[in-house]
Amino acid sequence: MNIGSNIGFIGLGLMGAPMARNLAKVGHNLHIWARRPQALAQYTGLAGYTVHASAAEVAAASDIVFTMVADSPDVHQVILGEGGVAQGGRSGLIVVDMSTVAPATAREVATALFERGIDFLDAPVSGGESGAINAQLTIMVGGEEAVFARVKPLFDLLGKSVTLIGGVGAGQVAKACNQIITGVGVPAVAEAINFAHKAGVDAQRMREVLLGGFAASRILEMHGKRMLDRNFTPGFKAWMHQKDLRIVLDAAHAQHLQLPTAAAALQLYNGMVGSGMGEIDTTGMLKLFERMSGIDEEAVQ
Amino acid sequence: MKAESMKIGFIGLGVMGNPMVQHLIKGGHEVSVWARREASAADAVANGATFRASPAELARHSDIVFTIITTGDDVEQVVLNGTSGENGLIHGLARGTVHVDMSTIAPTMARKIAGHLAIRGIDFLDAPVSGGGMGAQNGTLAIMAGGKPEVFARIKPLFELMGKTIVHVGPTGAGQITKACNQMVMVAAIQAVAEAAHLAAANKVDFARVMSAMQAGSAGSRVLDFFGDKMARRDFAAGIEARLHHKDYALIMDEAARAGAPLPISAQVWQQLNALMASGWGKEDTSNLLRVLEK
Repeated sequence: MNIGSNIGFIGLGLMGAPMARNLAKVGHNLHIWARRPQALAQYTGLAGYTVHASAAEVAAASDIVFTMVADSPDVHQVILGEGGVAQGGRSGLIVVDMSTVAPATAREVATALFERGIDFLDAPVSGGESGAINAQLTIMVGGEEAVFARVKPLFDLLGKSVTLIGGVGAGQVAKACNQIITGVGVPAVAEAINFAHKAGVDAQRMREVLLGGFAASRILEMHGKRMLDRNFTPGFKAWMHQKDLRIVLDAAHAQHLQLPTAAAALQLYNGMVGSGMGEIDTTGMLKLFERMSGIDEEAVQ
Repeated sequence: MKAESMKIGFIGLGVMGNPMVQHLIKGGHEVSVWARREASAADAVANGATFRASPAELARHSDIVFTIITTGDDVEQVVLNGTSGENGLIHGLARGTVHVDMSTIAPTMARKIAGHLAIRGIDFLDAPVSGGGMGAQNGTLAIMAGGKPEVFARIKPLFELMGKTIVHVGPTGAGQITKACNQMVMVAAIQAVAEAAHLAAANKVDFARVMSAMQAGSAGSRVLDFFGDKMARRDFAAGIEARLHHKDYALIMDEAARAGAPLPISAQVWQQLNALMASGWGKEDTSNLLRVLEK
């Protein structure tokens, strides 16, 4: 059964806004609501979008609702809270949460929705703002296969690599793994660049040659370039990666799982947030290392 | 001068709580107790305490209530929610009474509870302790308190019955922050001692002798004396159950992230504790950090 063309979208931030645009572009009717009224102002009267007064109203007008918000409490609030999606959604609705939250949150929300006959997929993404704009996101999905199959054509409008990983929560587990690898990778690249620089070696050439060997990675390529260009505009804000690593390490604590490298990386993101760099891109990690190496930032620029 | 007898409530009759109640009774105070399972209160009642039917009921008979419970959620339940209906401490405490929480919980939870109590004119101190079961028995606990100075001054004579080093550190939450610092420094030192024992053994050097050489020097510490000795004797029984330190680390690392404070060593110790727990040693001593290295 195909999903109708009324699509709810909640969470119109850095990621959510371009994702909604990619859905609207092919002729779907977007039903939107945001907790901050100013996030909605630009959509009033815009063709293809209907602004609603609550998440419940969005749900009542939609065949499927996407949510893309910051953290577990936000997901709880917009889906299960007062005036939330669950209150307006009828049986047969599909809710797809694309936020990055704890796997346990995905399971809790899914259970509460199932009781009302509402289907749920957790579908966090990787690829950042540029991936959202260019519909190049990697989407990792948890949930039932039949529900996934119905939503797949919409996922294809948002991303390039769309994979059903397993049952509810599996998408968030895959995202947690993604955040471990990228969370550790960014400081590793920043350390290498700082090391090269301190040793008097041209970091540009270092990166170029390494991209041909075993140290080649998307992070060395993309994040490394941003660091060398000293472009610290997000992208992906440091506080968000801090949040994601907290989710990972809290889960590891509960499962008695040793994640020494991720734990070390989290401390570096703590350092960024604590020294006022929470709102810049994670590549700003380079500046943290420069400060600790006694490098004058203005001299590098 | 003998202090005036006070009406005191006490909740949390474990390894720490039971001897603390004894000290309060010996000090001449009238003590009410409550426990989820009445059987847990048997010792306290035998020593002269009165069992009350609920936290609220205990609160109605008390001017000052102490709690020392395992988790922040438990403290929240006992104080704010009660076990069924409105029978939490907050529902029985009168204006001008004091709740002193001696549990180790998150500073944010301490502040939350204090806020709820303040609305009803009830004072609050967070006053976690260090010194373990032995310190509780001997009345030699270190007590680190957060809250208003005048409330601290009022409670101080009671603290003196239970502890030896009693410090008012700052406002509400400061006691819990101090306890977090205490746990970080202590468990990181246990890990350091374990690594030293492991390096000595790997080189076939007797760690007991290494210890005796180190004790008088710059690396000497109470942790080295106590935990180093346990490791040298391969006595891994608790002591302090490692699961409690593991629990504390979740609070510490959460607080660090919230504050934007990097704690690189603590983060590694946290992960070693995860491995210790995964090995099934949670109810044994934290000196098992040595056995994690030996795996």
